[in-house]
Amino acid sequence: MSKKALITGITGQDGSYLAELLLAKDYEVHGVIRRTSTFSTGRIDHLYQDPHDPDARLFLHYGDLSDAFGLRDIIEQAQPDEVYNLGAQSHVKVSFAQAEYTADVTGVGALRLLEAIRAYNERNGKSVRCYQASSSEMFGGAPPPQSLHTPFHPRSPYGVAKVYAFWQTVNHRESYGMFACNGILFNHESPRRGETFVTRKITRAVGRIKMGLQKKLYLGNLDAKRDWGHARDYVEAMYLMLQQDTPRDYVIATGEAYSVRDFAERAFALADMDYNDFVEVDPRFFRPAEVDYLLGDPGENNAALNWRPKTSFEQFVREMVESDMELARQEKTLIEANHQVTLKGIGNQ
Amino acid sequence: MPTALITGITGQDGAYLARLLLARGYTVWGIVRADDRPASCKLGSLAALRIENDVRLAAAELRDTASLARVIRDSAPDEIYNLAAQSSVAQSFDTPLETGEISGLSVVCLLQAMRENQPDARFYQASSSEMYGQARETPQTEDTPFYPRSPYGAAKVYAHWMTVNYREAYGCHASCGILFNHESPLRPEQFVTRKVTTAVARIKAGLQSALVLGNLEVQRDWGFAGDYVQAMHLMLQQDTPDDYVIATGEVHSLREFVSLAFQVVGLDYREYVQSDAALFRPAEVQAVVGANGKAARKLGWSPRMKFEQLVEFLVEADIKRVRKDESNIRYVMEEAT
Repeated sequence: MSKKALITGITGQDGSYLAELLLAKDYEVHGVIRRTSTFSTGRIDHLYQDPHDPDARLFLHYGDLSDAFGLRDIIEQAQPDEVYNLGAQSHVKVSFAQAEYTADVTGVGALRLLEAIRAYNERNGKSVRCYQASSSEMFGGAPPPQSLHTPFHPRSPYGVAKVYAFWQTVNHRESYGMFACNGILFNHESPRRGETFVTRKITRAVGRIKMGLQKKLYLGNLDAKRDWGHARDYVEAMYLMLQQDTPRDYVIATGEAYSVRDFAERAFALADMDYNDFVEVDPRFFRPAEVDYLLGDPGENNAALNWRPKTSFEQFVREMVESDMELARQEKTLIEANHQVTLKGIGNQ
Repeated sequence: MPTALITGITGQDGAYLARLLLARGYTVWGIVRADDRPASCKLGSLAALRIENDVRLAAAELRDTASLARVIRDSAPDEIYNLAAQSSVAQSFDTPLETGEISGLSVVCLLQAMRENQPDARFYQASSSEMYGQARETPQTEDTPFYPRSPYGAAKVYAHWMTVNYREAYGCHASCGILFNHESPLRPEQFVTRKVTTAVARIKAGLQSALVLGNLEVQRDWGFAGDYVQAMHLMLQQDTPDDYVIATGEVHSLREFVSLAFQVVGLDYREYVQSDAALFRPAEVQAVVGANGKAARKLGWSPRMKFEQLVEFLVEADIKRVRKDESNIRYVMEEAT
């Protein structure tokens, strides 16, 4: 019997990479998707199979982290061995504008899922393994480097909500003996990152500027430093956490930090351009409270999981630039053939 | 004269704080839930302090930003004290979601309603020593990392950080008081101190024969609620907002509390008290003791009632209650401050 996994946030960057990884390991994968008026499954369309197909291994369920009853039903139907909670309102800047919604989905949503799993465990005598996507934003204003021993100091409604979810996960492990792990992941990027996140915003602009579709790139705090890895590597760490004998929390990071300026400089250089000619600072993109410097100290973590990042900073910047160069090329081709193309994201100029 | 708005005004701390502010000439508004519990039940704590007719009450729900905004506009407070919560740790294990919403999320609704309607108001958040849970150091200071061990503690950590964030991100005058256990005759009976002192009074009166408790070895830093509300008020009188530990700095085990409470009526607790593992929390919190140095230095605050006085005071109030001696209960409470 192959194992079954349930993923919330399967339509996101991490969810799509994790689904790929688990399908390759012969898991049956169930994903929770929200009902929206437009399709949100772009990142997993290549994995989708008609559920009528007897060989189908990927199943999608409508659900929402704000709906406890629905979550219980999905778990009952999917009967997972492992649950990965990657669903969240995951944008830090947006969390300032939608603090309460972020709290409800990113914070209390995790609790709803944990409670649904606890009830399922009790009814069925099972011990489902749970992964909670914790975040380096929980460290916020804490001085670098940040490790498992660093006290949290979240600096955004997103970070505060993630701290809440973190402790609920720890409490379910300690109070009810659940196999529940937090992975405190530092920034992890890829060509699948949403276009409003700074790395993707930069590489998207590099492609479009190179193709003559955009003139300027407006960014917030260029001096913010982050520890950046590749999402494809990081989902492997999530999987490994749930294969250990005992549950615990882990910090997943590369141990190297670069500034937003470093990232922009390299991304533009890969397309033979100088970022100074195109990048301008717009204070509108500053956060009300900035997080200046996140640098992960994985400590003994990586050894415990026998995991290390495979993709270097250079490599993933290149992968993102190449992917977005191709996207911009397609956009340019369509425009030259007189197709109507809306250049999404350009609106923030 | 200044105006204050208190959420949780019908609770122990709300009632003591309202009395303090009224004595200082404040106009005091309180938020009450628009449910249909009789006023005698809802306003019991205020009535016990004889101030039920002196406060202005407005109906609102903590999870309903619009209703909070309306009350803030109507009352135009200079100071807002957020004391409302699902405040029972034991119950939080049974209703973790409701606890998260009421004790955690609702603080965002209130802070947001304040920012939009009364941005210059000063804000007090009732943080809790339960945030330290499995404490990383003893005693606990403002710099001790949190490690909550209950849904209540986790919700309070969330509310604490959101309050700090509104201060750091938007410059709000918002302060958190990290209060260690604080008791009074207004504590409901499901809290352990009142459970003990009620039992002592009933056993002494021959109405009860035994008392079953959970873990007798838990250690707590217990003070008097009437002292602690003064610290809340002082925090909002400072030029700059900050967070403070409010505690006695003394630790006592539940066993000591019980022993002393029985001694007040001349009984030996060992003949009446049993410890039942079923009443232990799923995850226990061990020694909790606060360092109140910062509050002493910056606020000039220190607790007045000592542990022994507190236990005696609680037992005597319950003896009067058991005798249904209402006027004397009020007398005892007034005398205490």
